[in-house]
Amino acid sequence: MTTPTASYTCPYCRIPSEGDATTCPHCGAPVDVRERVSKSGWAEQPPIRDMARIRFNRSTCQISGSYVPVAEMRLDPQDAVYFSHHVLLHMDPSIQLESMRMAGGWNRVLAGMPLFMMTARGPGYIAISADHPGETLAVPLPPNHAIDVAEHRFLVATANVAYHWEPSGIWYTTQNGDEQEWHYPLGQVMDRFTAQGGPGLLLLHAQGNTFIRDLRPNERILVQPGGLIWKDRSVRMFLHFEYPHGQYWFSSARWQAKSIWLTLQGPGRVAVQSVFEPPEMAGSIRSSSGSTTQYW
Amino acid sequence: MDRIECQWCKAQNEPERTSCTTCGAPLDKRNLVSDSGWTEAPRLRDMTEFRFSNSTCQIEGEIVPVAELALSPGDSVFFEHHVMLWKEPQVPMSAMNTGGGARRMFGGMPHILSVAHGPGRIALSRDATGEVVVLPIHPSHEIDVREHAFLAGTHSLTYSFVRIKGLANVLHGGSGMYMDRFVTGGEQGLLLLHGYGNVFQKTLKPGEKILIEPGGFLYKDSSVDMQTAQQRFKTGMLGSHNMYLAEMTGPGRVGIQSMYVHHGSE
Repeated sequence: MTTPTASYTCPYCRIPSEGDATTCPHCGAPVDVRERVSKSGWAEQPPIRDMARIRFNRSTCQISGSYVPVAEMRLDPQDAVYFSHHVLLHMDPSIQLESMRMAGGWNRVLAGMPLFMMTARGPGYIAISADHPGETLAVPLPPNHAIDVAEHRFLVATANVAYHWEPSGIWYTTQNGDEQEWHYPLGQVMDRFTAQGGPGLLLLHAQGNTFIRDLRPNERILVQPGGLIWKDRSVRMFLHFEYPHGQYWFSSARWQAKSIWLTLQGPGRVAVQSVFEPPEMAGSIRSSSGSTTQYW
Repeated sequence: MDRIECQWCKAQNEPERTSCTTCGAPLDKRNLVSDSGWTEAPRLRDMTEFRFSNSTCQIEGEIVPVAELALSPGDSVFFEHHVMLWKEPQVPMSAMNTGGGARRMFGGMPHILSVAHGPGRIALSRDATGEVVVLPIHPSHEIDVREHAFLAGTHSLTYSFVRIKGLANVLHGGSGMYMDRFVTGGEQGLLLLHGYGNVFQKTLKPGEKILIEPGGFLYKDSSVDMQTAQQRFKTGMLGSHNMYLAEMTGPGRVGIQSMYVHHGSE
């Protein structure tokens, strides 16, 4: 007689599974580690263990390595994935590659985004890796669920995950002499991924360590704009400027001492990475997208 | 009692050892092999020590590892001068002329390699997150290494460099113009490489092929044939896009790195 296995809900991807493996079959998170939550409420996303396998459709994805992990996919003949061409590491000759056209070509070029993506169709093995030390994040998407991803975090997605991109809507301008400079601390665009017709799998690359948090309705948190990895669509975001009082005119808030934050407002889940590039600090801010301001 | 065979370099070790005396690979851990047959290079434990000739090498650190060499009299190692982290003042140094003059210059390769002789200690490291890969080279064996990837070679290795064949391979291959070639004579040699990110190795059977992003190539046995394979894609109104991959054909070992320099296919 077999004993029924207790149901297990992964705290990181929130998908139930049998819980009889050492890693979650949907996102690869270890099941035998205690959830590590800071006192402020950020949960550290545990790195996917070396050689852990994730199932999607009829295929599997194996994560290997730890500094710059490799996502090696065994693609079934009926499955396909898409990715930006520069993340391809190796593949079997049997894999069929095709280009995937992207809408808004010129705008993508201006925003520094890849002009097109590659689709790989099985059968065979194909491996993808990023080019910075960090972690691979597996984000399983329930049907019709969408998330917004900061630019240049995307690694690979299953073919049933629809991809769109939209202006991030987060910007400010500064004056440099006669010239007005535009700054996009979150990048000019954000990627939106939506699972269609069934569950989908999205792999992202985070630099440094990754932390996630579930925001309650109207709960706000300030994060470095460059640290955002992804957020639920329900999470609102806008800029927040802080101006500490400087002792001298040249150390005053308008010039040097200002902080540029991204406010995230719930409800929904957000994920941040520990490596980020601070926003450019150049002169006084003349105009911006929706923002709040604080002097202290 | 049975001796333990190192899964990485196949050297025989005393039963009580926890790391290989020849390459430092942990002996108490199984090799990690992916489903498609790539073996992860052994993660050398911090402060692991192994021997070559009459000298020792200790690997320190894990994020950007340092190879600290304690050279005995009569032993020497060669390396590119900018990988030297520190050395004892009395370590005798000399220069190895690589030959190739202007060709090396055009290829962005150093004209001379530094040689450190025993006795004394010297430490070497590269400049980014990665792994030190220890490759004991058996007698009469040849291995080709991506340019600027080798950390040090022992005196029993003969250094040369080979031009990557074919203009398309040079222009679009993404591995530069030249590869370093290391050849052993009658004595075993030791080669230390720095792989960016994580390093994986696969042994190809005769005629077996694999396509690799050129920036991910790290090393190969010289028996492995490397050619550039062009992939052409239509991109709608803007025409077409070419992508170049390195087609490796066995027999022999191929090593790749997961954090790669991407060029040649833009």
